[in-house]
Amino acid sequence: MTTTNDPPAKGQDGRDRSLPVIANPSRRTAVKGAFATLGAAAFVAAVSPLRQAAQRSSAAEFMQSHYKRLTDEEKRQVIERLEAEAKENHGVEVEIADDRPIPGTKFVYAINLSVCNGNGKCVEACHKENNHDRSTGQSYIRVLEMPKGTMDMEQGNTTYSGVVPKDDKFYLPVQCQQCDEPPCVDVCPVKATWKEEDGIVVVDYNWCIGCRYCEAACPYHARRFNWKQAEIPAEEINPDQSYLSNRIRPVGVVEKCTYCLHRTRRGKLPACLEACPTGARVFGNILDPDSNIRWILENKRVYILKEELGTKPAFFYYFD
Amino acid sequence: MSSTTAILTSDDHRSDESHLLSYPRFLKRILYLATEGSFGFYAWMTALTAVTLVGANAWANQVAGGMIGTNMTDHVSWGLYIANFTFCVGLAAGGVMMVIPAYLYDDEDMHKVVIVGETVAIAAIVMCTLSVIVDLGRPDRFWHMIPGLGEFNWPMSMLTWDVIVLNGYLLINLHVVGYLLYMRYLGRKPDPKWYIPFVFLSIFWAISIHTVTAFLYCGLGGRPFWNTALLAPRFLASAFVSGPAFIILVMRVMRLTTGYTAPVGPARTLIQIIRVAMVVNLVMLASEIFTLFYTGGGHASAANYLFFGAHGHNGLVPWIWSAIALNLLGTFLFFLPSAMERSTVRIVACLCCIVGIWIEKGMGLIIPGFIPSTLHEIVEYTPSLIEWKVTLGIWAFGMLILTVLIKLVTSVFTGQVSSKEPTAMS
Amino acid sequence: MTRISSLLSAGVVCTAALMVVVCWDGTSPRDNQRRERDAVAQSISTEPSAAPAQASSETERKSKAPSEPGRHAVVVRRPAGPPLIELAATDPQGRSGQVACSTCHSVRRPNLANRTSDSLDEFHQGLTFNHGTLACYACHNPEQSDALRLADGSAVEYRDVMTLCSQCHAAQATAFRHGAHGGMNGHWDLSRGPQTKNNCIDCHDPHEPSYPKMIVGFKPRDRFLKDETKHDDHE
Repeated sequence: MTTTNDPPAKGQDGRDRSLPVIANPSRRTAVKGAFATLGAAAFVAAVSPLRQAAQRSSAAEFMQSHYKRLTDEEKRQVIERLEAEAKENHGVEVEIADDRPIPGTKFVYAINLSVCNGNGKCVEACHKENNHDRSTGQSYIRVLEMPKGTMDMEQGNTTYSGVVPKDDKFYLPVQCQQCDEPPCVDVCPVKATWKEEDGIVVVDYNWCIGCRYCEAACPYHARRFNWKQAEIPAEEINPDQSYLSNRIRPVGVVEKCTYCLHRTRRGKLPACLEACPTGARVFGNILDPDSNIRWILENKRVYILKEELGTKPAFFYYFD
Repeated sequence: MSSTTAILTSDDHRSDESHLLSYPRFLKRILYLATEGSFGFYAWMTALTAVTLVGANAWANQVAGGMIGTNMTDHVSWGLYIANFTFCVGLAAGGVMMVIPAYLYDDEDMHKVVIVGETVAIAAIVMCTLSVIVDLGRPDRFWHMIPGLGEFNWPMSMLTWDVIVLNGYLLINLHVVGYLLYMRYLGRKPDPKWYIPFVFLSIFWAISIHTVTAFLYCGLGGRPFWNTALLAPRFLASAFVSGPAFIILVMRVMRLTTGYTAPVGPARTLIQIIRVAMVVNLVMLASEIFTLFYTGGGHASAANYLFFGAHGHNGLVPWIWSAIALNLLGTFLFFLPSAMERSTVRIVACLCCIVGIWIEKGMGLIIPGFIPSTLHEIVEYTPSLIEWKVTLGIWAFGMLILTVLIKLVTSVFTGQVSSKEPTAMS
Repeated sequence: MTRISSLLSAGVVCTAALMVVVCWDGTSPRDNQRRERDAVAQSISTEPSAAPAQASSETERKSKAPSEPGRHAVVVRRPAGPPLIELAATDPQGRSGQVACSTCHSVRRPNLANRTSDSLDEFHQGLTFNHGTLACYACHNPEQSDALRLADGSAVEYRDVMTLCSQCHAAQATAFRHGAHGGMNGHWDLSRGPQTKNNCIDCHDPHEPSYPKMIVGFKPRDRFLKDETKHDDHE
């Protein structure tokens, strides 16, 4: 669209060059017109792959408003459409809910670094639970293998493999920290990402323009971009979905960990926590004084990742 | 094209005719003129159009197939496009270095050619906008950014500031250029109240576009390589090299192709500016390097990777050292006395500095901001073929616009087109 | 002058009023909170006496009594009962069998000196044992071989093995109690559903309690430009 304003005429119009304009204006105009038509046709041909892209997204999707502006009725229609699209494109019956925050809840996560052994079950659980693209093996969690005696991630390594834990290493899983001062939310030019009342930073996948400024702003490598349309075998798709969470994302938008809000806002524990065989992960409501998470923050030694950046994470690392 | 009639009957123009009628006619006529030219002109325009189309096609494929066609990753999430964007903002801001001498210091000679700087700015802003649009994963949702229609996260997001200042700068320059040309065409003396305020506004605005663009990056606490107060001044200093250098090249091309010879003064003034700005730029680069390496630690890891390679990865090392070599060579050449003449040295110096700064600001600044990643993983980046095609397409389109604009400017300024007398071409 | 002084006094009054409001706001919820917490502490302290009584009625699991109505239980998994020993030999029909500890131990004299399987010459050979300097009968009960033995010599059922472990591993037991050890499944919000927790021996082999090594399975391939076989991360 942006290059449609091509100057109208072009071409090796050699024969005319010595002629004064006045001499034969109509012929010259005709030649110019011909070349303009040619140029326009060439342009249409050049951008024809866009037609293919346009077929993927419906007019309703194009016109869809921001999540916060949708009325209940509009939300219902949007969700219906998304469910129909999942059926058509992926061949599965999915159920997309619109889970809202539970009043009086502020979610906080903690990981026991003394216990985590870097086995990566959380990474896999996230990959499956959140309907990530299979070929790129996406996951919202990365685990760093760190040498004992440092917290400097420069010395960490995410591509370790084999038997864990190694004797001279400890393991540092990193995912979205659901910051109270989220830099990713500040930088988004279209308010496609925001922090909800229960502390979860969400993305409206149908509003994001894919500029990836949030990816640049996040200090925790928590955000992922859909470089391609996610491909998941129908039988592996998790049908239990939520609009702001694990529904199959469109291509070209940014996504992130939502503390599995499609589970946690229904009172359940996040998938990564349930998958953890070592019990290193703890999740809960910090506003509840009797919660596990409160006991940990009050009684354990707690470490906050990149605390100096002032992002105020709702994610803590603790030690036995 | 009905503009022929306009050309043939232009002498019926009366000076008290409404601008509503005469301005569209003026636009029509100059547009017609812009598509008139020699064989060489047509060849040049055809070539640019062809490259633009290649770029457009590559971009269409990128949209259709997803951005997996680029070589960007979640680790290096901005690449050639944003690098090129940063450089083009500098190019646009650099035009102000003609405006300041012309209007603040009343340099008469500079006054005659200042419009060249403004046209370069227009073309550069168009390239900036395109560079951002091709970087979007969902260009179809561009309307989400339009205030009122979409959600515009102003004033929190620096990107929204950038949208405002870039579009504002484009409008200011379009107005000033359009107004001055139109008045020339009418054969009237421009009324200062219609453009002087805008010219002064454009001076501040030019500074702001590059400052805001620097704030895009340096405001990110999670990226230590960018998170430095020196970034905006460095951007400005390098912009005041690349912009004037580019304008000097444009004026040389104008002289060789259109026969419009600018006075010798403006280019000399520009070179004086380049000399100062380039030295300031190099001093700031050196001070940045000193701070990073003398302090060491985690903040130096990106610089380490950039200049020397880290952990066996050294993809950016050749880039940055070529940039430094080109910048030093360009600076040296600019300081030669022959750079003050219409010499080849001047042209080579300009080319060296333009390429040097393009690398320094793009592959040498935007990319290493992502390497190592925020979790200190090293994932390297080299632009894919699609990215190169699209970027070249953007440049070709920018040059296309610049050529048309320069052609208009020269035809109006050399009196080839005017409302007073019938046009006499060739 | 009078205007300034009246302005000043008005300012002082406003500040004082503000301070009162702030103090009021600040103290009252905190007091409420403390009261609530004390109440909860009480309910927790009454639990241990209630739990054993309940345990006998259940078959597999022990469940913490819900502390208030409408709340689901936190279910801690428990062993089914005393372990059964697989017989090494098979009978003429080729069937192997399982026997209870008491099958042999009711007729054999306990050797209190045994510390490792090395000194055993007949049964339990090859048993790996790596649990500090404990002797077998530190935990197994010489008098009642189908039960365990607490430090004071009293018997404890296999199903209450956590009581035994907690004698030494009190810190872990405390952490476990607060969800900071051992993990969980199900619901974080007990008003919406129950929660299941492991017991000690679900994860720790009592004879060799250090957590086993694992093999990393899944790895994200999101550095998709790279040759995946090449591990080029820095270290």
